[in-house]
Amino acid sequence: METADLKRQLKEQIIHFLNLTTVKPEDIKDDEPLFGEGLGLDSIDSIELIVLLSREYGINIQDPKEGRKILSDINTMVDFIEKNRTK
Amino acid sequence: MAYFHLPVCISPQNSFPEVDLYQIRESKNNLLEVMEPAYPGIPAAARRRMGKSVRMAVGAALPILEKFPQPDGIIIATANGGMEDCIKFLNQIVEYNEGLLTPANFVQSTSNAAASQIALVTKNHNYNITHVHRGLAFENALMDTMMLLKENKDAGYLLGSTDVISAYNYNIDRNAGCFRDELILNTHLFQSKAKGTIPGEGAFMVMMNNQKMGASAGLNSVKTIHSIDPLTILKTLEKFLSENFMPGEWPDLLLTGEDGDERLLPYIDIVESSMDKCVPVARFKHFCGDYCTASSFACWISMQIFETGTIPELLIKKRGATKPVRKILIYNNFRGAQHAFILVSAV
Repeated sequence: METADLKRQLKEQIIHFLNLTTVKPEDIKDDEPLFGEGLGLDSIDSIELIVLLSREYGINIQDPKEGRKILSDINTMVDFIEKNRTK
Repeated sequence: MAYFHLPVCISPQNSFPEVDLYQIRESKNNLLEVMEPAYPGIPAAARRRMGKSVRMAVGAALPILEKFPQPDGIIIATANGGMEDCIKFLNQIVEYNEGLLTPANFVQSTSNAAASQIALVTKNHNYNITHVHRGLAFENALMDTMMLLKENKDAGYLLGSTDVISAYNYNIDRNAGCFRDELILNTHLFQSKAKGTIPGEGAFMVMMNNQKMGASAGLNSVKTIHSIDPLTILKTLEKFLSENFMPGEWPDLLLTGEDGDERLLPYIDIVESSMDKCVPVARFKHFCGDYCTASSFACWISMQIFETGTIPELLIKKRGATKPVRKILIYNNFRGAQHAFILVSAV
């Protein structure tokens, strides 16, 4: 899958998993922080995203510190998925 | 006597934010589902995680909490709680082979999710309890509140109820024969005798304290009983009346939870026939449908009757003496096994 397609797919999955009913994929910028400012996600959302990576891409994040970096924005998530996905 | 203040009801009818009980909204596909407002007061991040029953409860509570920001307790009745989320969570356990699970469904799945979310939104650390006694959940919440107000004269409690039609409890109850098989409108619920009723849902919230001034109604008494014997219900009613009325005195209105299920008519008949002929009779379940905490909708309707001084035409089953309605006796039963009498009065 091309990186652009993966980004689009990931944004749709984030919207679905987090029930962001008023957000469209194009509203989420690739380099915009997902937590705090930007999309305004919180700690419970981070667990939802870890579950998303596990279910959709077969990636298990073991280290919470590692997770903080991976879940920074769409670019960091896609980069990590491309390198580590098992499905 | 305890007093109701600022009642709010989210129901299948026009009850929030504007109230109009002179029109009836029809059921769709044998379901009476609520008209949900936009809930502008619920923070967006919290709202997107809330299941319907929690969303309705918090949405109904917030207008009250604007005026009474820190109640001395939050007392909620719900028979099914977040059943939809509970089943989603359980299905995830199976679907993902007991692997990693998302927290949102789990957080929302417990019965006390509504009471706890209201506490979280308002940062309230006081008494917080959820009553879950199926068809008597609301009555038990009422009694809990009454007892607390006897012990704490200056206190105020947020009391409420919430229950929704979830795909899961609907299917189970339908298979158990609780609902009509044929397609029927709520407006025709009492026109044909058949087994089953129409399911409904709703949330009710109110502030309760001992302050008569500004109250919407007073709560005189609550009596509950588990029985399937109509004669036992009659004896309970007679005792309830003798405890709350002088000899020869009657309620100004009997409001029953008649729901169109012919199997439950013997209970309704025996209660109606025990009243004096001058007592008018009204019913409410064609407005809200049948659900475990539907008697809270009857309480809310009673407060509307006190406020407007009239009984909405669509509720009336039998006319009686033309006099101001000051005392309303609510009789409700859940599936013929859990019965309750609630006496409310105008202030």
